[in-house]
This record gives sequence, structure tokens and C-alpha cells, in this order.
Amino acid sequence: MPLLTRDIVGGLVAGGASCRMDAEVAPKFKAGDKVATLNINPASHTRLPRYVRGKHGTITHDHGVFAFPDSSAESGTHSDPQHVYSVRFEGEELWGKDANANACLYIDMFDSYLEAAES
Amino acid sequence: MRVKALETLLSEKGLVDSSAIDTVIELYETKIGPRNGAAVVARAWSDPDYKARLLENGTKAIAELGFEGVQGEDMMVVENTDSVHNVVVCTLCSCYPWPTLGLPPVWYKSAPYRSKVVRDPRGVLSEFGVELPDSVEIRVWDSNAELRYLVLPNRPAGTDDLSEAELAELVTRDSMIGTALVAAPAS
Repeated sequence: MPLLTRDIVGGLVAGGASCRMDAEVAPKFKAGDKVATLNINPASHTRLPRYVRGKHGTITHDHGVFAFPDSSAESGTHSDPQHVYSVRFEGEELWGKDANANACLYIDMFDSYLEAAES
Repeated sequence: MRVKALETLLSEKGLVDSSAIDTVIELYETKIGPRNGAAVVARAWSDPDYKARLLENGTKAIAELGFEGVQGEDMMVVENTDSVHNVVVCTLCSCYPWPTLGLPPVWYKSAPYRSKVVRDPRGVLSEFGVELPDSVEIRVWDSNAELRYLVLPNRPAGTDDLSEAELAELVTRDSMIGTALVAAPAS
């Protein structure tokens, strides 16, 4: 019996597969908080791209609790639920003097990637 | 060629039914594409209450129009104004809001777009023919994790008399990724 059959396509496409988790996890940060990303370089899966490692930014939104991909990739199941935020980084923080004028970057960041920074 | 080889292998091993693949292709060719996103944008331009709901909770407001499901489970809509322009990328791979935009264009998945737009968004926008003054803040959204982003473009001038359906006709796929502006209708 195939795993993917015509009968289940409609349900799969319509239902989706969010990694949002119904777990009571306290957020470490709130909108407006200044944060710094860790400079980690794991050999395994991560959603912390190199260009935002060790950088300072500001939390702009808290999107709620999701499975942590770095852990899920190891365990094979939704693991280590935690808050995901939009974090804003100014262009100059990421790219120095080569940054575009008046440009910034927003990216989804997990609690495990962040530490509090001086405001 | 590589895709065909993968499909053959999956079929021969009995993991996928090839008619299921045809069904997926048909869905994204005929039902799920950027006309869905254009309907969302036109509704937001026509109905201030809907726009407020859309910016507050994109997933719920988009579902009001019947668009939801895979790669649209957690949506955020970002609004272009006279002082802010948003553009979306996925530096990890090709994450893209399928229920509202369909499948991503080839350039969206290409390494040159993904690597350059975070570092030099004004340069990339210029390559797409979009020149914005330095007074307009450029916000690049890297959708590398849980959220999928839809840009709500700036409504062009001279469209006050257009119906919602006529407005939707003006909205292009690229304007909802942020690599184009919505042009005013030819008069």
C-alpha cells in the first residue's frame, strides 16, 4: 500500500502540518526587548543562519510556542517546545559599513538562540 | 531528469501512487496560486476592518477567504506604506506561503536571490526594476523557520473607483513577495 495515495492528497494539502505545539512554556522575552544571538556552530541542523550569529537585535513579535527544529532533527519528533519571535536586526549590525541605507532584517528566532542584551 | 528519476523510484518501490502526484500538480496548477493572494490583498484594500484583522492575525483572516493548509499554517502579513517596503526571502531553502501564492518561482529558490537580498536588498529590488528612495525603510523578512510571510502592497493611486474584483486584477505575484510594486491601471 503506497504511503501517498490520491485519496489523501486533498486532506494533506488542506490540513497542513504546523510545528506549533500546545504546550505551556513561558517566554523568555517580550516585544521591545534587546537581545543578542548566540554564536553557535553546530554540526547538526539549525535555523540560526551564520549571518545572524553573535548579532544584536530587538524582539518585535512573539508568535507563540513551536517545536525546536534543532532538537526535533535529532529526536525525529516534535521536541523542546519554545517561543518563536520576530527579531529585527539593523542593516549595519549585520553588514557593517557595506549595509544599504535604511534597511533592516526580520527573522524567526527561537528562545534557545537568544540571550538578553543591554538596551 | 532528477525529479523524474525520484518519482520513478518512489513509484517502483510502491511508496507513492503516481495518480496522487498528478492530483498535487493539478491542485497547484488550477486551484492554489497567486490569484488567492490577490483576493486577500483586494479585500484588505476595500475593507478596513478586514485589513485590521489581516495585520493582527494573518492566518485567521486569510482563512476567512478559504485559503489555508500546508505552508500557510502560520501566516504573517506585512504592510507596505509610503515609508516602509517589505520583501520576503527564505535563506534556508524556499519557504513560501503556498495557499496564497502557490509554488515559488525558480528565482525565489535560487542561491543568488537568497544570498543577495539579505545583504543588498536595494540592489536586488533595482534588478527587479524597483527603485525606492533612501527615505523608504526596506524590511527583509527571512522566513527560514515557522512563519510564512505575505506582503500587502501599497494600493496605487487612481484606484478609488475600482471594485474589489478589479483591484485583484492589478495585484501580481511579485508584489506580494515584495520584488515589485502594484502599478496603477493604464488609463
